[in-house]
Amino acid sequence: MNVRQSLLAETGSRTVVPTIFIVSLFLLVVGHDAPGGGFVGGLLAGAALLVVFLSGGRNEVRTLLPLHPRSLVGLGMAVSITVASLGLVFGSSFLDAGKITLDLWLVGEISAGSSLLFDVGVYLVVVGLVATVLMELGRPEESAS
Amino acid sequence: MSPVLAITAGALFAAGTYLIMQRLLTRIVIGLGLIGHGANLLLLGSGGPPGAAPFTDQAGQAMSDPLPQALVLTAIVITFGTTAFLMALAYRSHALTLSDAVEDDQEDRRISEANRRSAA
Amino acid sequence: MNVSLLTILSAYLAAAILIGVAPTRFRRSTIATAAAVMVGTLVWVLDQAGSVVNGDVHIETLRWIPSLSVAFELRIDALAITFISLISGVGLGIVAFSGAYMRTKPRFNRFLSLIVMFAGAMIGLSATDNVFGLFVFWELTTITSYLLVGFDDEKAGSRSAALQAVLTTGLGGLALLGGLVLLAQAAGTASLAGIVASPPTGIVATVGLSLALVGAFTKSAQAPFHFWLPGAMAAPTPASAYLHSATMVKAGILLLLRLAPGFNTASIWTPVVVSVGLATMVIGAWRALRQTDLKLLLAYGTVSQLGFMTALVGFGSPAMLHAALAVLISHALFKSALFLTVGAIDSTAGTRDIRKLSGVGLQHPLLALTGALAAASMAGIAPLLGFVTKEAAFAALIDAQKWAPLAIIAASSAATAAYSLKFWWGAFATKPQSPEHAGGDPAPLRTIRTLIAAPLILASAGVVLGLAPGIVDRLVYAFAPGAKLVLWPGWKAALAVSATVVVLGVIMHIKRESIDRAQQRFVGGRLSRISADEAYQWTIVALNRVADRITGVVQHGSLPLYLAVILTAVIAAPMVAFGFAGGVPTLPTGPFSLPEAGMALLVVAPALAALRVSSRMVAVLLLGAVGYAMAGIFVLYGAPDLALTLLLVETVVIAIFAFVLSRLPRHFEIMVWRIRSAVRAAVAVGVGGFVAAAALLASGQRNPGPSPSAAYRDLAPAAGGKNIVNVILTDFRALDTLGEITVIATAAIGVAALISGFRTPVEEAE
Repeated sequence: MNVRQSLLAETGSRTVVPTIFIVSLFLLVVGHDAPGGGFVGGLLAGAALLVVFLSGGRNEVRTLLPLHPRSLVGLGMAVSITVASLGLVFGSSFLDAGKITLDLWLVGEISAGSSLLFDVGVYLVVVGLVATVLMELGRPEESAS
Repeated sequence: MSPVLAITAGALFAAGTYLIMQRLLTRIVIGLGLIGHGANLLLLGSGGPPGAAPFTDQAGQAMSDPLPQALVLTAIVITFGTTAFLMALAYRSHALTLSDAVEDDQEDRRISEANRRSAA
Repeated sequence: MNVSLLTILSAYLAAAILIGVAPTRFRRSTIATAAAVMVGTLVWVLDQAGSVVNGDVHIETLRWIPSLSVAFELRIDALAITFISLISGVGLGIVAFSGAYMRTKPRFNRFLSLIVMFAGAMIGLSATDNVFGLFVFWELTTITSYLLVGFDDEKAGSRSAALQAVLTTGLGGLALLGGLVLLAQAAGTASLAGIVASPPTGIVATVGLSLALVGAFTKSAQAPFHFWLPGAMAAPTPASAYLHSATMVKAGILLLLRLAPGFNTASIWTPVVVSVGLATMVIGAWRALRQTDLKLLLAYGTVSQLGFMTALVGFGSPAMLHAALAVLISHALFKSALFLTVGAIDSTAGTRDIRKLSGVGLQHPLLALTGALAAASMAGIAPLLGFVTKEAAFAALIDAQKWAPLAIIAASSAATAAYSLKFWWGAFATKPQSPEHAGGDPAPLRTIRTLIAAPLILASAGVVLGLAPGIVDRLVYAFAPGAKLVLWPGWKAALAVSATVVVLGVIMHIKRESIDRAQQRFVGGRLSRISADEAYQWTIVALNRVADRITGVVQHGSLPLYLAVILTAVIAAPMVAFGFAGGVPTLPTGPFSLPEAGMALLVVAPALAALRVSSRMVAVLLLGAVGYAMAGIFVLYGAPDLALTLLLVETVVIAIFAFVLSRLPRHFEIMVWRIRSAVRAAVAVGVGGFVAAAALLASGQRNPGPSPSAAYRDLAPAAGGKNIVNVILTDFRALDTLGEITVIATAAIGVAALISGFRTPVEEAE
């Protein structure tokens, strides 16, 4: 999709995409207390990537991502497994939740427990999957075969 | 479980089953999606009658069962992952054979034909 | 010193891995490692033996699956100590010999690693008390021996011999597992010692015992399963010397020895075990006399001797068990020495064919002496250990007045003496009819000297222990009290039998040509048509053919058809159960809600529409519509998280479909169906109806007991979250979520591998 997309779509996505990303992070953070969580947040971020893809193509998605999609998946797995195992070292058993309470500006008081960190891993894995799908299945036609 | 929910799940299973007994991967994936929805309805229904969303600060009201919801959430995301994988499979299959049809098991065909030859 | 046997077993495992991964150039270090482990074991044995011969039993336990009473329970008694000393002592000789014999071969480290692994498995097998642990070690020896027999895997002969060995002993292993499970069930304990202490009786125990016997017979190459052992001579000679003299084939005897104290009174024990043993002894001796390949001669000799031991164990009295274990020890020593001697001959003369060998004895007198010592022990000539132990067996048979078995054993022993003579004569004599010895480059003298060391020491052990049988006697006596093993028994009947046997053997050797002719005539007759080896081949071919036929009939290759069959079975099987249960349970009548019915209609309508549409994209959009309507139901049921997730998933899925469908034809191709659509519709309606009915019935049977949900609901505030679903996912059941994201990660890897994985690097670079 090297064809230049319409100006409307491009500017639209410029403003919409950051908004969706912020909302996805919000859903991730409040997930413990309100509807949301790692899965929903990750999927919403994936939807944001989809918008980017539709307006700017694969390269735009790649430049937007801080890491290669497969590194995102790997990082997510690493984060979740580490959090889960920390319970083994510091807590009584595998996946034992620890907790710190933070008072964030605008968001309010959130308890940044190990649950949240665990959910961050989930979020990353889901974003990684969507990004992988976009990068792989969204290859331009001519190099696909 | 309300009869409506059970019958809806049954209908989804029936439609999905009809679709997966075919050869085109696209149809099979759609069929699996329908069966997945049906299974999710069964899980949801197993939680009993509908109630308020399961949040602890809504005490007092009858709350719907959170555990089946957690199971369904997991199932939805897993179905999503499998669908993505199967579509990649269809994509690859088309790139190689110009079709997304699931062919006969070649090994089984070979054995079956060898038998027919030796019997003849 | 207080080292546990478990530590020693771990040392074997670690050494095997180290040796296996070591680069080829570290051959000396790997040999040293293997030898060190074996020497360590020997030292450990010496340390333990002192108390064990006084009847102490050391027990070590490592629990594995407690709920199934599967554990590594090691029971170090006299029998275990005997076996462990043979395994590590002979093993040390094998390692030393291999170092000289095949160090220059490629993959030497792999060979050595397998030998160490095998030795570890054998040690575990000899000491384990738990029947499941026994089976695990038993199979471990089967697998490692398979790899050793098939070591020259570029030769078809090696491969088929290895396969034959593994199929036969593997089948026996399965029989053994079944037998042990039955015995353990009948006895109510998984401990071998416990089972033997209070042996179960009855039909289950008898079946279990029979199956265990089949396992022992296959492993110890008893008729009619003896055919795999000569075939297994395809193994490199050091491996044959180890597996088929001292260790693996003795595993069956070990099992018999372990079971005998408890089951020797069982009705099937003595008749079955004795007759199998005697038949094997005769067949082995008969065949051994006919061999011209030195290694095959020894192989059949081993079969014969194993039959000897089996028959002795079959009588089951302490004196007989005592004799059996003594024979086992002497056999391990002389047979390993003989195999290694053959290896040395093979590498110096380039052949092991009796008809080609000539004059080796004159060239290598020390090797000839080694062969003479070991062969004389095999023949039962005083003052060697072979004589002492065979004498003990004769004495036990005479005491028990088992005259017919004694006659058979004596006759076979005469044949043993004859083939021992034939072995030595064939290997070392200078024969007039074949003056030139066959081709092959003689190995350098220095190598020969290193090759002789191990067999010479093993053969000398037979001399030393024969002259001073007290050491063996104390060990064997601790296992089963029998008459003392002595070099000079005095003028008794057993001595007369021994002497007669040797004299007969010499006569048989002198008259070998006429015996050979007699065997030829006999072989020409009908009896020889029945060959166990051919029966094996026939079974394998028939098995393959039947499998092909069944596959051809049952599996035509059409995957949709398979699916239809499976789904029909899924519906039919519970229907049968319903039929048996009888009565129709009351269906629940839930409250009817109009919004729910409306959403349900929105779910079902597009799902049914998706069945018939011809456009791919429309079908996908209909699936999306089902998903959005499902989200509506989730909202009705108080599940906002689910609704949100599903909406997002459906959106992304439609996008994925759109990418892929842009490559695929716009419409579904018309396919030729193997199953008519009416059949498919029938199966589909059946599945749907079954699901709906089962859901209704099941929810009608709802148990109003406490559910985990209630606990989650109460604990959620303590876990610091208000969204109970999320708390379940990230806290209570986070391990499940971890599994789930693993699936997601795998799917992502799969997608990437399917699309990018097949690209060439050139494409990737652009």
